[in-house]
Amino acid sequence: MRNFNKYIRPFIKQYKWFMLATVFLGFLTFLTASMLTFTSGFLITRAAEAPYNILMLYVPIVLVRAFGIARPVVRYMERLVGHNTVLKILADMRVRLYDALEPQALFIRSRFQTGDLVGTLADDIEHLQDAYIRTIFPTIVALFLFVFSVTSLAIFDPFFALWIAVCLAVIIVVYPLLSLYFLKKRQIQVKEKRNRLYKMFTDAVLGISDWMISGNKERFIFQFMKESRETNKIEKKLADWNHARTFQLQVISGLILIFVGIWAGFEALEGEILPAYIASFTLVTLPILEGLIPVSNAIEKIPAYQESLERLENIDQYNGTQGVVGSFEIATNPVFYFEHVDYTYGSNKEPALKNINLTIRPGEKVALLGKSGAGKSTLLQLLIGAMKPDNGTVKIGDLSASRYGEQIYEVISVLNQKPYLFATTVENNIRLGNQEATREEIEDVIRQVKLDQYIHSLPKGLDTQMEESGQRFSGGERQRIALARILLKNTPIVVLDEPTVGLDPLTERDLLDTIFKTLEGKTVILITHHLMGMEKMDQIVFLDNGAISMHGNHRSLLKENERYRKLYRLDLGEI
Amino acid sequence: MDKNLFLYKDSKKTFVLIGILTVLQSLAIIAQAGFLAKAIITVYEGAGFSALPFFAMFFLAHVFRHFLQWLKSRIAYRFADQTSSQLQNDLVEKVFMIGPKTISRQGSGHIIALCLEGIPSYKTYLELFIPRFLSCLLIPASIVIYVFTMDVTSAVVLIVVMPILIIFLILLGLVAQKQKDNKWENYQLLSRHFVDSLRGLVTLKFLGRSKGHREAIYSVSNKYRISTVRTLRVAFLSSFSLDFFSSLSVAVVAVELGLRLINGQIDFLAALTILILAPEYFLPVRELGNDYHATMDGKESGEKIRGLLNLDDGEKQVMTVNLPDWNKESELVVRGLTKTFTEENRTVLADIHFTIRGFKKIGIIGLSGAGKSTLIDLLSGFTKPTSGSFFINGVEIPDFSVAAWQDQVTYIPQHPYIFSGTVKENIMWYAPNATDKEITEAAERTGLSELISQFPNGLNEKIGQGGRALSGGEEQRIALARALLTNRPIMFFDEPTAHLDIETEHDIKEIMLPLLDNKLVFFATHRLHWMNEMDYILVMDGGRLAESGTPDELFRKNGVFTQLVKVHRGEVS
Repeated sequence: MRNFNKYIRPFIKQYKWFMLATVFLGFLTFLTASMLTFTSGFLITRAAEAPYNILMLYVPIVLVRAFGIARPVVRYMERLVGHNTVLKILADMRVRLYDALEPQALFIRSRFQTGDLVGTLADDIEHLQDAYIRTIFPTIVALFLFVFSVTSLAIFDPFFALWIAVCLAVIIVVYPLLSLYFLKKRQIQVKEKRNRLYKMFTDAVLGISDWMISGNKERFIFQFMKESRETNKIEKKLADWNHARTFQLQVISGLILIFVGIWAGFEALEGEILPAYIASFTLVTLPILEGLIPVSNAIEKIPAYQESLERLENIDQYNGTQGVVGSFEIATNPVFYFEHVDYTYGSNKEPALKNINLTIRPGEKVALLGKSGAGKSTLLQLLIGAMKPDNGTVKIGDLSASRYGEQIYEVISVLNQKPYLFATTVENNIRLGNQEATREEIEDVIRQVKLDQYIHSLPKGLDTQMEESGQRFSGGERQRIALARILLKNTPIVVLDEPTVGLDPLTERDLLDTIFKTLEGKTVILITHHLMGMEKMDQIVFLDNGAISMHGNHRSLLKENERYRKLYRLDLGEI
Repeated sequence: MDKNLFLYKDSKKTFVLIGILTVLQSLAIIAQAGFLAKAIITVYEGAGFSALPFFAMFFLAHVFRHFLQWLKSRIAYRFADQTSSQLQNDLVEKVFMIGPKTISRQGSGHIIALCLEGIPSYKTYLELFIPRFLSCLLIPASIVIYVFTMDVTSAVVLIVVMPILIIFLILLGLVAQKQKDNKWENYQLLSRHFVDSLRGLVTLKFLGRSKGHREAIYSVSNKYRISTVRTLRVAFLSSFSLDFFSSLSVAVVAVELGLRLINGQIDFLAALTILILAPEYFLPVRELGNDYHATMDGKESGEKIRGLLNLDDGEKQVMTVNLPDWNKESELVVRGLTKTFTEENRTVLADIHFTIRGFKKIGIIGLSGAGKSTLIDLLSGFTKPTSGSFFINGVEIPDFSVAAWQDQVTYIPQHPYIFSGTVKENIMWYAPNATDKEITEAAERTGLSELISQFPNGLNEKIGQGGRALSGGEEQRIALARALLTNRPIMFFDEPTAHLDIETEHDIKEIMLPLLDNKLVFFATHRLHWMNEMDYILVMDGGRLAESGTPDELFRKNGVFTQLVKVHRGEVS
C-alpha cells in the first residue's frame, strides 16, 4: 500500500471533485437501470389490477420512459467524464515522472543498467490509467450502490436489510478478497514467466544468426514452447477460476433474488408495502447485482499495478549534486584547465581518472582517444560539470565547471554519439538549438552542414517529419541535422562524442570535413575511435586506464612515438 | 464474419458444440423468466408458500443457464488456448525460417511483440468472439420466437428495434473510425511526445532545454487529452446508441404491455414474462458491443500473424546433401550468383562468379551499398539467392542454407549478439559439451582471461541483457572464443572491427589472425589493413564483382581496388 503514495494518492486528492463526479455518474447509471426495472415491474402489476382510470398509471409510465432514456445518457456522460479525469491525471503523472528523471538525465544509463528503461517507465504510467478506470472507479461505485441499496431496504425492514447486507458482502467483500488472496501468487507467477519468455525470445530473435548456424534451433523452439505451454497452463487455471467464480456469483445472485421475492411477499401480506411492489422489489435485485459482481474482477487486478508502481517509486530516490545557480558573466572565449584531476566512482577501488593535466586554449582542436573504459566519458562528465573531481580542479575560465550548473550549456555544446532527433519536423529539431532563430538563420545552418539541397528536394522541405514513413534520414544525415542544431546554438566550446562511429569511411571523411569547417574558430573537443582527421588537431590525447598515455600533436607524435606511428599506419591500411 | 476461424483444428466442432449449448441456454432463459413471473404472481396473489416450487424451478433454470455459460466459457477457452499455442509454435518456427535479414526488415520489435503480445490478444479474440457471436445469433432469435407465441405486438417492437440498433451501431462506428483516421497522424505525434521526450532527455539537457521542457509535456498531454476526449465523444456514441435503443425499447415494451393489460388484451403472467425477457433479448448484443475493442484488437493481431506466416521465405525443395568437412583440397564454385529483392525490385548482387580452393582468406571490400554484406549473407545461408548455381567438390547445392554447409560455418558480425546468460554459457554456445578446461583455454587465447578474472563470479558472471554490459571489443572476443571452441572450418566476418577504437582494433587483430589459419575465411570490411592479411580479394562495386585477385596483383593492376584505397585514405574524393 505504501506504493500508492506517489502516483495514486496525491492525484485522488487533487482531482477529488472530478473523481466524485465520475463515481456519482457511475452510481447513477446503475441506479437508473435499477429504477427502470423497478418502475416497469410496478407498472405492469398496477396495470394488471385494472384501474378505473388510465391516469393512475400516468406517473409510472412517465418514470419508465424517463429512466429508460436517462440510463444511456448517464452512462455516456460517466464514460466521458471518467476518461477526461484519467487523462488529466495522466498529464500530471507524466510531469511528475519527468521531474524525477530530469535531474539525473546524464546518469540514468549508468544507474539502471537495463535496456529501455525510459520506454518501460512511460508504459508504466500509461498502465496506471487502468488502475483508475478498471479498479478504483468500479469499486467505489459498487460501494455506493451497496450502501444505497441496503439503506433503502432498511427503511422498510432493518433486519432483512442486515441479512441482505451480509449476502451482498459475500459478493463485494468476500469474493474479491479471496480472489486477491488466491490469485495473487499465480498472477505474479504468470508475469514472471511472461517476462522470462520475453527475454528468451528477444535473445533468440536478436541472436538469430547464431541460432541458425548452430543447428540448435529445434532445441530452442522445443524449450520455448515448453515454457510457453507451462505459462498457458497457469493462465488456464486463472481463467478456470474466473469462470467458476462467475458461475458461483450467479448462483448466489439467484438465491438473493428468491430471498427478496419471498420477503416482499410477506411484507405485502403484513401490509408494510403495497402488493404492487412485489414484482418491483424482486426484479430490481438483478440490475443491482450487476453493479456489484465486477468488484472481484476489479480487485484481483491490483497485483498487476504493483510492479509498475514499484518501478516508478524507485526512480525518485535520487539526490544529485546541483550546480550553484546564480547569474554571472559568461566568458566569451574561456580557457579550459584540468589540474591534477582524480576521480573514483562510488565504491570502486580503481580510480576512473588519475592526475589529469590538460590546458585547452580558445579555438584549439583537441582529439581524445582511448579504449572503452579508459575514462573518456568520465572526462566528459567532469568537463560539463555534471560531476565534481575528487582532487584537483576543472575550470572553465575562472570558474569551476561544476559551479555553472545548467548554464554550462550556454558555454559548451555537446554532440553525443547518438544525438536524439525528436519526432517532429526537421525545422523544429534544428530550432531546439535556439528558439529565437529566424528562418534565414536556419537556412544558413543547413547550408553550412550541406543539407540544404537534400532538404529542399523533399516535398515538405524543412517541414518534413523526422520519421515519416520509416527511416528517412541516413546516419550521416542525422548527424548533420544534429550538427546544424549545435551551430545554431553557437557556443564557444563544442564537444563531439564519437560522431562518426558506424559510418563508412567516405561518409566519415565528408562529415569530419564539414565539422571542422563549420566549427572554425571554436574550441573543439573530439572524442574519436580512430585516427582519421588527426592531421588537423592541435592536441591529441590518448587515455589509458584513467591516465594520459600519449599527448602531443600529429606531427610530434608521428616523429617521436613508435606506438602512435604504428597505429597511424594501421589506420591507413599500410600494415 | 471471419472465415479464418474455420481453418483451425477443432473449430467446427467447437462452433457446433457451443451452438447447441447456446440453444439450450436460450431455453433456460425463457424457463427462468416464465417461472420467475409465475412465482411473483403467486406471491402477489397472497398465496405465500405455494410460490416456493416456482421459485425452486426458477432457481434450477437460473443455475442451469449459468452452468451452460460456464461450460461455454471453458470450451471456448480451451479451443482458444490450443489454437493460439499452435499458432505461436508455427510463428516461432517461421521466424527461424525467414532469417535475420527479413527479420530486420520487418522490425525485430514488431516480430517479438507479435509472438508474445499478438498471440495472447488473438487468443482473447478467439475466446470471446465465438460464444458471443453465437449468442447474438441464437438467443435473441429464440426469445423473440417465444414472445411471438405469447404476444405479437411486443415481438414486433423487439424485432423492429434490432436492425435499427445494428444500423446505428455500424454507422456510428464508421463515423468514429473516420474521425480517428483523419486525426491519426496528429494523434500519434501527441501520444508519442512523452516517450520521445524521455528518450531525448540527454539531448535536451545538453541543449540546456530540459528544465523548460516540463511545460511542453504538460501542455502536449493536455492537447492529447482534449483531442482524445473529442474522439471519444463520437466513439462512445456507438455504445450509447446500443444502450439507448435497448433501454428505450424495454421502456416501450413495458408501457405498451401496461396499456394493454388495462384493456385486458393480455394477461398478467404473459406481460410479466415478456417484461423479464426484454432485457435478456438485448443482452448478447450489448455484451458484444462492450468487448468490441478487445475483440477488434485481437482480430487485427490475427491478420498480422497470418501475414507473417504467409511471408515467402524463398523455401525451395529441401534437399539433403552430404558434404565432407572443408579441407585443403575442397573446392567451391559460385556461378551467376544474383540477388534481387522482390518487394523493391532492386538487384543488389548481379552475376557473381568465383572459384575457391582449399583454406584461403578471402577479403571482400567495396564502398557502402556495394553488396558486401549481402554476399556474406548469401554465402553463409541467411539469405537465399534469386539465381545462381553452386558446387562444392563438384556436388551441386541449391543454396547455402543446407545443413551440411551451415554446420561447418561460424559467423561474426559487427555487433555479435551476447545472449542473456553467463560468460561460460555464451562461450560454449555452439559447443554445449565443451569442458571447463577447453573454455578456459578459449578465453585465454582470445584475451578474455584478464577480464574474467576481474568479475566477482568469474566465468559464471552474468552478461547480456540484464547482466554486466560489455564493450565492443569484449563482445568481439566472446564471439571469437565461441568460434574457437567449435573449431568449424569456415568463418564469416562482417565488418567486425569498424566500430572499435584503433587500439582495441589493433589488439583484436593480433588475437584474431592466428585463429584464421587453416580455415576458409570470408572477411568483409571497410578497414583496409585487413586486406594485407588476405590471400584473395573480391572487390565489389555497385552489386557486381569488379575485380578479384591477390593483394599484390590488385595493387599492381592500378584498377578499382587502388582507386578504392585512395578514396578511403582521402587522397581523392
